[in-house]
Amino acid sequence: MGTYTRRFHELGSADRSLVGGKCAGLGEMFQARLPVPDGFAITVDAYEDFRDASDLREELKRLVRGADPASPQSLQAAHERATALILGRELPAAVEEEIRGAYLELARETAQRRGAGDPDRGPVAVRSSSVDEDGDAASFAGQQETYLWVVGADAVLAKVRECWASLYTPQAIAYRSGMSDTDATEASKISVAVQLMAGADVAGVTFTVSPRTGDRSVIAVNASWGLGQAVVSGEVTPDEYWLTKAGPSVTSRRIASKQHEYVPAPDGTGVIRRDVEESRRDVPCLSESELMRLAEIALRVERHYGCPQDIEWALERDADGVPRVMLLQSRAETNWRKRKQKSRNTTKATTDLLGFVAAAVKGETR
Amino acid sequence: MTTADGERSQTPPSAQPTPGRGFPDPYEISTPEGAEGWEEMYAYHNRFLYARRAEDSAKTWFRNSLHFPEVSYPFDQLIVDGAFTGTGVTNTRVFVLPPAKGLDVRVVNGYTYMSTIPSPDEEEQARRAEEFAKRAGHYFRNWETLYAEWQDRVTDAIRTVHDLEVPPLSEFEPIERVLEERGPSQGNQLLAAYHRLLEHGDRIWTLHSEFLNLGYAAYLRFLTLCKEHFPEIDDQTISRMVSGIDVLLFRPDDELRALARKAEELGVGDAVRAATTGEELITGLGGTGAGRRWLAALEESKDPWFHFSYGSGMYHSHRSWIDDLTLPIQAIGDYIDRLREGDDLVRPLEKLQAERDALVDQYRSLLDEEDLPGFDEALGLARLVFPYVENHNFYVEHWFLTNFWNKVREFSALLQKWGFWEDVEDIFFLRRAEVEEAVVDLQMAWGAGGDPQGGHHWPEVIRRRKEIYAALSGWNPPPALGPVPEEISEPLTIMLWGITPETVERWLAAQGDGANGTTLSGFAGSPGVAEGRARLVLRPSELDAVQDGEILVAPVTSPSWTPVFGRIRGAVSDIGGIMCHAAIVSREYELPAVVGTGFGTSTIKTGQLIRVDGDTGTVTILDEAADVS
Repeated sequence: MGTYTRRFHELGSADRSLVGGKCAGLGEMFQARLPVPDGFAITVDAYEDFRDASDLREELKRLVRGADPASPQSLQAAHERATALILGRELPAAVEEEIRGAYLELARETAQRRGAGDPDRGPVAVRSSSVDEDGDAASFAGQQETYLWVVGADAVLAKVRECWASLYTPQAIAYRSGMSDTDATEASKISVAVQLMAGADVAGVTFTVSPRTGDRSVIAVNASWGLGQAVVSGEVTPDEYWLTKAGPSVTSRRIASKQHEYVPAPDGTGVIRRDVEESRRDVPCLSESELMRLAEIALRVERHYGCPQDIEWALERDADGVPRVMLLQSRAETNWRKRKQKSRNTTKATTDLLGFVAAAVKGETR
Repeated sequence: MTTADGERSQTPPSAQPTPGRGFPDPYEISTPEGAEGWEEMYAYHNRFLYARRAEDSAKTWFRNSLHFPEVSYPFDQLIVDGAFTGTGVTNTRVFVLPPAKGLDVRVVNGYTYMSTIPSPDEEEQARRAEEFAKRAGHYFRNWETLYAEWQDRVTDAIRTVHDLEVPPLSEFEPIERVLEERGPSQGNQLLAAYHRLLEHGDRIWTLHSEFLNLGYAAYLRFLTLCKEHFPEIDDQTISRMVSGIDVLLFRPDDELRALARKAEELGVGDAVRAATTGEELITGLGGTGAGRRWLAALEESKDPWFHFSYGSGMYHSHRSWIDDLTLPIQAIGDYIDRLREGDDLVRPLEKLQAERDALVDQYRSLLDEEDLPGFDEALGLARLVFPYVENHNFYVEHWFLTNFWNKVREFSALLQKWGFWEDVEDIFFLRRAEVEEAVVDLQMAWGAGGDPQGGHHWPEVIRRRKEIYAALSGWNPPPALGPVPEEISEPLTIMLWGITPETVERWLAAQGDGANGTTLSGFAGSPGVAEGRARLVLRPSELDAVQDGEILVAPVTSPSWTPVFGRIRGAVSDIGGIMCHAAIVSREYELPAVVGTGFGTSTIKTGQLIRVDGDTGTVTILDEAADVS
């Protein structure tokens, strides 16, 4: 177990303060044998020690404190200065070596397992992992970066710095400038996930509770072609599939016209956005059996956590068309907890009648 | 006496009309050409009387096309009256349901319309609740014992009607009457027997309703609870958690499967397949021991299982398997073919049972701990009541009514013999009160030794009424009359007839478009999608025309059509609520079904290519060309 990196199999939900929510969740699912691409977390300590190895911490604090949250120019200037500092300052040797080592170990293991690929250049996704419990705060704090198809240790290190630098977007600076020292310190803790790249012919989000009504017997799937960011960012109207957990079985489908998709760049580094060719736009991106597979995995995730989930996934079809589903993230969907709805067709007269019936069953008047 | 006070303290109707939108006024409906004088076919209490115009025009009247899709024959109107009376008296006076009473009934151009009687106000509800708790509570707590006893009472009523003797009106009274009994004459007995038949035809509906609305209420309670916990759950899933696997209505079909198997065991399968009528069966099989053994098995199945109406049983014209063996013989032949193709014809009861239990477990597992006891209790009660809800239909509509109509025919045969009319079926063109007049006419004439007058009176009346009946049958009755109700709150209306505010909106919209669109929407009755040629079946006599792979389009389907579901690819019905038969059978046969489309039979034509989407509840007409054959 390293100081600055932890493999997913070493992590669980309890490790949030060390590796942030995203990495802790990925570790938890990995350990539960759910299909999560393998990877490792760069701990909060890596960034903390990076800041402490020089006067960087104080300088960044001064930048945040000195910015005028009401002035866009001031925030922009602070952002540019902070980003330059984080991207330009030397990494402590121990931090850099451990990240390189962890990446190469992951890439080599994978190349060996698959019997293919350059053992030093396995493509990974690099994503920030927020410590803050509050998703909105994390979003303000800029800790939502994702870099796909990152190849080679140097590129990984560069993207890790970019994740760290995302703590200093103008809006993140404005958000923290009014905080107490303690709160600002807490809000500027960050971890990074480095995860094997999941290929995606189709990607999307699965809810194990109805986003319409909070019905817990419903599974809702939104999906579109290519990598998931088109769906997550709302750039395309995805296909909507509604299932009932009983079965499970599909109850309805709404097939959208899917105009764009994200795919790996032709040179093997990064991703590009392109138009979906006409012939694929209006056809369902998921088959019945793929939906069943997604539902089955989603239910496993829900069972593991014991509450409704909002799950990001990617699905890759092999040469024979056999689908492989990979989970990229799962969050508890708590909006609907304890919110029970009256059925739309339940009128007062029905409620009254049922009250009388319930009473009569017990031998009471009401 | 408290009841009379209560009636005076009723509040005005809860369904206040929305101004400016509405359905046709019942008093402004014109008579179809050729049907002039149709009012004579129905008693005054069935009609919209001008003296009540202000009151009746202000109410919303829904067409009851679920139970009475066809024009009422004058005699058959007693079923309409009896059915509404039975449910009304049970709600209002027997169990004293606090928030709902019965329904008003009217006939327009031969079709049945109904309107809710205003709900009692809060104070009266509280008073009614005292009574309801004692009465309904007794039934809920002793359900199984009372249900067993009910089965005996209904079976007695069936036997009584079956055994009812229509006096032969012999030339002389039997000598024993003079020497020993000195009882009533055959003339007295004739009138008494007619009264006895009417008495049973009336009472059967009180028996019919005895458990039904309590059963529905218990079911509705579970349904409502499910929808509170799972707002998107569909009605069919709920009914799958409750419904019995071994439903009496599947029994006649099971008998046919068993007869097919028996024919193969006895080696008479080919002879059975070759027959199309009962006579051909006897000629084909009567000559061998094995054949006679099969015929004996057939006789055994017939009583009671062939007392199974081709329609709902509510019309004398529907007839039953026992009267016309065409469908059962054809179905047995189909089943023999399936056996030869390797199908074992066994309904997988254990599998269905396991699926039902798994479904319940699945939903239970999604509930919070504290909600489980309430769910289990409501489910338990719904399951307790459900055998009645599912099975009463066989006892009453099929078994009883088959005997009832055939007993009416016995009276008719006697009157026919005395020259009242030419055809036994003619009696159904007389109102019940008019039949009594005819019976009295005969009684007097027979007693005096003269000729009855009926033969000089009824044939012309009947001839004219047949013309009127045909003209009314071609009329397209609107789904509702009068103003649009502001709210539909009467729980039983919603549950039994599937009439919700959304349904009313659909009707209004279709009224505007003339219902000529290429897409119809209804309730998703059974999942899946199918395409095929439409086959309209407006009445049971048209069932024979159904071809393999067609899509059945009917106003409403009957349980006895079950064997036909083996031939079709999907089903569409005009009417259907939660208890809809088309949906239940379609799920059993894994066929897509859309029910409650409202305008299926008036929009779709036989031969059109249509798509039934049982997932979304839509029916699409794919080609406009209608090959009406």
